[in-house]
Amino acid sequence: MATREEIAEAYADWRGRSNANERLKKMARGWDRVIHFRTTDTAEGFTVEVRDQQLSDLAFGPADRPDVIVTATSEDLCDMFWGDLNPSERYMTGEITLAGSQHDVMRIDAMTMVAFLDR
Amino acid sequence: MSDDGASLRRALGLRTTVSTSTGLAFAALEYLAAAALVVYVAGDSAWIAVGVAGLLALLAWGFFGELNGMFPTAAAIRLYMQRAMDDRAALTIAFTYMTTIVLVIAADAFIVGSALARAFDEPAWVAGVWISALLAVAVGANLRGVQVAGGLQDLATYLVLAATVAVCVTGLVRSHRALRFPLEPLHGHGIGGLAEAVALGVFLYSAFEWVTTSAEEVRRPHHIHRGMLIAVAVLFAVCSLVTLAMSHLLTHRQLGTAFPQLELGRAAFGQAGLWVMAAVSALTALNTFNGGFITASRFVYGTAREGSLPRRLAQLNDRAVPWVPVLALGSTSLVVALVVAVTHGWQVLVATGAALEAMIYAVAALCTLRLRAREPDRQRPFRVRGLRVLGVAGVVVFGALALVASVSVGDRFDPVPLAIVAVAGVLSASYVIWVLPGVRAAEVARRAATPRRRPPRPAAPPAPGPVEESGGP
Repeated sequence: MATREEIAEAYADWRGRSNANERLKKMARGWDRVIHFRTTDTAEGFTVEVRDQQLSDLAFGPADRPDVIVTATSEDLCDMFWGDLNPSERYMTGEITLAGSQHDVMRIDAMTMVAFLDR
Repeated sequence: MSDDGASLRRALGLRTTVSTSTGLAFAALEYLAAAALVVYVAGDSAWIAVGVAGLLALLAWGFFGELNGMFPTAAAIRLYMQRAMDDRAALTIAFTYMTTIVLVIAADAFIVGSALARAFDEPAWVAGVWISALLAVAVGANLRGVQVAGGLQDLATYLVLAATVAVCVTGLVRSHRALRFPLEPLHGHGIGGLAEAVALGVFLYSAFEWVTTSAEEVRRPHHIHRGMLIAVAVLFAVCSLVTLAMSHLLTHRQLGTAFPQLELGRAAFGQAGLWVMAAVSALTALNTFNGGFITASRFVYGTAREGSLPRRLAQLNDRAVPWVPVLALGSTSLVVALVVAVTHGWQVLVATGAALEAMIYAVAALCTLRLRAREPDRQRPFRVRGLRVLGVAGVVVFGALALVASVSVGDRFDPVPLAIVAVAGVLSASYVIWVLPGVRAAEVARRAATPRRRPPRPAAPPAPGPVEESGGP
């Protein structure tokens, strides 16, 4: 199980890559959203915001009226933020679940893919 | 089933779920299917076939309700088929099923294009220009990530239904003629004709289940299930009225045209009615194109992302739209629509769509049965009662309807729809058996060659050893 610190470190790396990626900034134009993540194994919750094409700091705790809720194991979220996991695979097997519009779900998956296209 | 939807800032309510489910089923092709259905039964009794088909649609509702409850996700079709059967069979069926979306988009483009050409009193070839323009607009809008708001979708669907009902009722009232054989579908017709009418009747309801792909965005999980049920009831009422009006007001020649709904409008309100139904036909395209493009392109994108299709199909443009599937879908639909326009083969299109939809309903019945046996302890918010009997009945009945629909076009034997379904199935199976292993192997090799970025966890400090007791001073 990944600890809070591991998740925070992984997210900080993903945030840095995403916020510096010009293509992702274009994709996030006009797309301000609140995304809440929940871990199924450690019962943690944390929230990030996409505001003005930038990912915010990570905030642990519940979210009030998020736009999207992503539920997965802490290990999967950690691997996803590091770019070691293709979240679509876990999604197609039901191990990662989402709540939110199909449009928003596509954008989040785009962010996990495009941030690591140079790999 | 989780209740995440209730806490979302934006979530779909029951009203939008009903309009989505109804709107996806009530495409422009609906009018042609209704016109094709009425010739198989006597007089004004087609509503009986629509009713029988409605009961079968309720059966399908049960299966999709149980499956959606188990897998409330847009990827449900992949999930439940994968778990119920061999993955290769599941993929083959899923790819073949996607053909339906191409057919429906092509059909709508053709019907709306033809209706507009007719409404403007233009030569038949102008329909090809309208078809191309409509699909170009749909592709362009999708590539730009234009979304149809839920409210607009509701308005479009309810307007279409209301206008259709108004035209049908007005036409019937103005005819001043008694109904002919409203309760005798077999008068002068064989049981085979009724079976074919029921197969086409099932097609009138088909695609109502596509709303299950919205499972992740509804406010309450049961909205999908309830929305589908209400949609089936609405479709029964409206389609019964449409078939009744068509059989009562239109000649055999008018029923065989590519735009019987315009003739219906003219029978009710003269030239103004023709224009109303032309506008209604164009409005149906809003839901069909929106729902069809999103469903199909997302399915292709997701399948490519999981490594079952070439990676280039998962490429996104700057608006996060999978542009390759959108372009492929648009161009394929254009080719099909133009072929139909040139060959006047729209009835083949209707029969093929009916066969494919009946097939997927048989598959849904099979999956529900197998998953009860394989995953009996999985949470099922909705369970089909008497599944042992109803599930087997679903497989047999929908399988038979698929076969009947695939060998009959316009009240005559014609195996062309069967050939089309067979070709789609063979192409899908060929890809899965011969191409997919290479695609997956390439993806596995690519990942193996990509080093992990996540830093390894620091090794835990060694556990302290046993403490030695010191001797005396």
